[in-house]
Amino acid sequence: MTNRTHPPFCPKDSSLKHFPLKSSFVKPSLFIRALACIGALVLSLSSLTASAQDMQYRARLSPMPTTPQTKSTITGAGEALATLSGTTLTLRGNFSGMSSAATMAHVHFGPPAQPGPVVAAFEIAAQTSGALNASIELNAEQLRALAANSLYVQIHSESNPAGELRGWLFPKK
Amino acid sequence: MSLLIKQLTGLTPLLLGQRPLLPGQKLLLLGKSPLRRLITATSLGVALVSCAPDSQTSATASVESPAVSAFSAQADAGADLFSAQCAVCHGANLEGTTLGPLLSGRPFMQRWGERTPSLLFANIKANMPPGGNESLEEADYLAITAHLLASNGVDSVAAALTATTDFTIADNASEVAAGRQRSAPPAPQGLTVTGNVDDFSPFVPVSDTMLEAPDAADWPMIRRTYDAHSYSPLDQITTDNVSNLSLEWVWNMHEGDSEPSPLVYKGIIYLINPGNVIQALDGRSGELIWEHWAGPANRQDMRNIAIYNDKIIQATTDARLVALDARTGQQLWETEVADSSKGFSNSSGPIVADGKVLLGLAGCARYIKEDCYISAHDANTGELLWRFNTIAKADEPGGDTWGELDDIFRAGGETWITGSYDPELKLTYWGTAQQKPWVPVSRHLTIHDEGLFTNSTVAVNTDDGSLDWHFQHVPAEALDLDEVFERVLIDRGDEKLVFSLGKYGILWKSDRVSGEFKGYKETVFQNAFTDIDAKTGHVTYREDIQNAKLNEWTSACPSSAGGKDWHSMSYHEPSGVLIAPLSQTCLENAAREVALVQGGGGLAASRKFFEMPGTDGMLGKIGAYNVDTMEEVWSHEQRASFHTGTLSTAGDLVFVGDLDRRFKALDVRTGEVVWQTRLGTSVQGHPVSFAIDGKQYIAVTSAVGGTSPRTVPDVIATEITYPRWGNALYVFSLPED
Repeated sequence: MTNRTHPPFCPKDSSLKHFPLKSSFVKPSLFIRALACIGALVLSLSSLTASAQDMQYRARLSPMPTTPQTKSTITGAGEALATLSGTTLTLRGNFSGMSSAATMAHVHFGPPAQPGPVVAAFEIAAQTSGALNASIELNAEQLRALAANSLYVQIHSESNPAGELRGWLFPKK
Repeated sequence: MSLLIKQLTGLTPLLLGQRPLLPGQKLLLLGKSPLRRLITATSLGVALVSCAPDSQTSATASVESPAVSAFSAQADAGADLFSAQCAVCHGANLEGTTLGPLLSGRPFMQRWGERTPSLLFANIKANMPPGGNESLEEADYLAITAHLLASNGVDSVAAALTATTDFTIADNASEVAAGRQRSAPPAPQGLTVTGNVDDFSPFVPVSDTMLEAPDAADWPMIRRTYDAHSYSPLDQITTDNVSNLSLEWVWNMHEGDSEPSPLVYKGIIYLINPGNVIQALDGRSGELIWEHWAGPANRQDMRNIAIYNDKIIQATTDARLVALDARTGQQLWETEVADSSKGFSNSSGPIVADGKVLLGLAGCARYIKEDCYISAHDANTGELLWRFNTIAKADEPGGDTWGELDDIFRAGGETWITGSYDPELKLTYWGTAQQKPWVPVSRHLTIHDEGLFTNSTVAVNTDDGSLDWHFQHVPAEALDLDEVFERVLIDRGDEKLVFSLGKYGILWKSDRVSGEFKGYKETVFQNAFTDIDAKTGHVTYREDIQNAKLNEWTSACPSSAGGKDWHSMSYHEPSGVLIAPLSQTCLENAAREVALVQGGGGLAASRKFFEMPGTDGMLGKIGAYNVDTMEEVWSHEQRASFHTGTLSTAGDLVFVGDLDRRFKALDVRTGEVVWQTRLGTSVQGHPVSFAIDGKQYIAVTSAVGGTSPRTVPDVIATEITYPRWGNALYVFSLPED
């Protein structure tokens, strides 16, 4: 199998110090960072037993459109797992192998394969590999978009400010 | 500021002096230059494939250099730009790669020698690089043009090129400079290995009756039968014993772009190689019987050849038709199909139907008087019998579907995939490619200018070449997604049907007597059309595609690699399913400006590629479709794209090969992979099955090269690696007890 993404949450090539706590300006202690990672794992396990109303989504993150000239500068892979509980979309996941450090991450609105505007921004570690961790409130229109496979996750990087990885959210199989 | 200006300001005389004029170099050649005469006098067949290093940059430093010309400085800047922007596809020394053609030596001069720098510049600017690069300015394109000219022996020019420089290129290339590119020995021509098929298996001339109902042991034409089923009635190899399938022998082929479909007749394999080379091999032992080079000896691709009576009939990449003695490979006759100096070419060969050689044509994107056609030739002499033009001129039926465009600027409609034939109806069915350039705004047309008879199924009468009916699948095509591929003829009860599957991934069904639309099925995700009329098959493009402006990016699925491409599908009659090799990628497309200038034209779009959303990165798909209900019966998806046609057999197997070197057998009823092996490089071509003395064989080629179906997976599935050489024919069978 050629999908070389790492297991979600605490990917093997991302050390704990890269864990993208929202308060990334304050360096958390190793203990707190470990707790955070364990917490994420617990969250992920709990998502497996999420209530019947919760919907699970998944996006495979892959390089933005490339050409023979840009295929070595737009790189990487990843996975975003999303749980919709009520109107709250919880995103977890990982990315790796980007050409340069991540700068920001967004959820966008757009039907499959049609780029569109930003719905929400979330913080991401300034690394070429790392984790995704966000919680986003969706309005009615955005909820309809999610149901129509019309939300996607996009990660930008230093050398690809227009975006390096992206993936549309589809119901998890 | 353009890159050129940046670079020029940093240049020193010493740096500029790295491209000195050579001793004995002529300054200006008037009239017929030696090079020009050489081009004219030498047979096209003695083409030179220049892979030599750029000798200009290795000229000795001791040569005294006069003042460096503006042209030379421009060419130097262009060399750096070429290295950064173009070399990845065309090679650092313009030698070409599997991603882009060579740009030096005789092939370059044949195409551009009699034309002007202005036209070359416009062509590059409108079409290159394929992914677009907004940072390249006019001065940069001029510099790249100067580099190409300098590298091809243009050394008597002093002034820097401008967008309107209009000298004849060959007139300004010296023999000395040209000579530097001619170090390779001339390629062979004619028979290089002599032998006689009769010494291996008594040859029996191939009759019309034999082609209409081939012996189960034979594969006597592309897709085996006139109805293009790509189905073998042989049933020795089955789902139960296929796990024992073993290699009998392997034969290395000539290198170059290769997508071949071998012929097999009475145990002899007739194999088209890159560079217009045909070999006859003993199917049992893999022994070479004869080899013939029809020229030009390039690295270009030809998908198939034909056999009829005692002849092997081949189309060449420079649009000639050649007949060889099937027993000995001796050439019997030759005729020109179209003028290759005007860009015409062939990448697929003929079928012989109704006693006539039926052949398509490619390379029809230029703004010239001549357009594309399907032609019929006498199988015994090569004499032209009729032509069917795929582009309607202003005063012809369908001529009002091209807006106000002058006939010269109506381009496209290539028939680059071999058609099929119904002997009862005496109709031959072909797909046509889309209009050129690729986007309506580039061709100075709108989404309402349908452009007959492009992107259509045409049913042509084999008696006289008249059009019996047509169905245009995608009028005013806007994304480089053509509907040109094989037409599969299927009878269900009283219904006589024709099926096709184009780059949009839509399986189309029509009545092949009347042309009436009968149904469709989307086999992969597509978002180009917001509506497909269930009654008429009429498609409606998404609004932003309809109104795409110049240099505006439009995102759509599938990509130009095609939901389906040239790899033909197979019809498994026992289960009533079509099994299609499919591909799941998407593209962003931006139209470029093309001036309406005679001799211009081209494709004119920038493109980028990405994974198809919702497929989990699975580029390759094999889908099986019930031809009655049009429902998907099963599918098999995988990361690696598929690069062969599908072969189905009476043993309930489907054979197919992929980019990741795997050759697989699937159960035709379930899609389960029941056998696989790994070959030397990517598996590409068309698997066939044949029998000798009651023993069934499966043959397939490994191969490299090709256009979008190769380049798109190469940029998306970058982790899949394989040797960039290794064209070969592999033959498998069951071990004897």
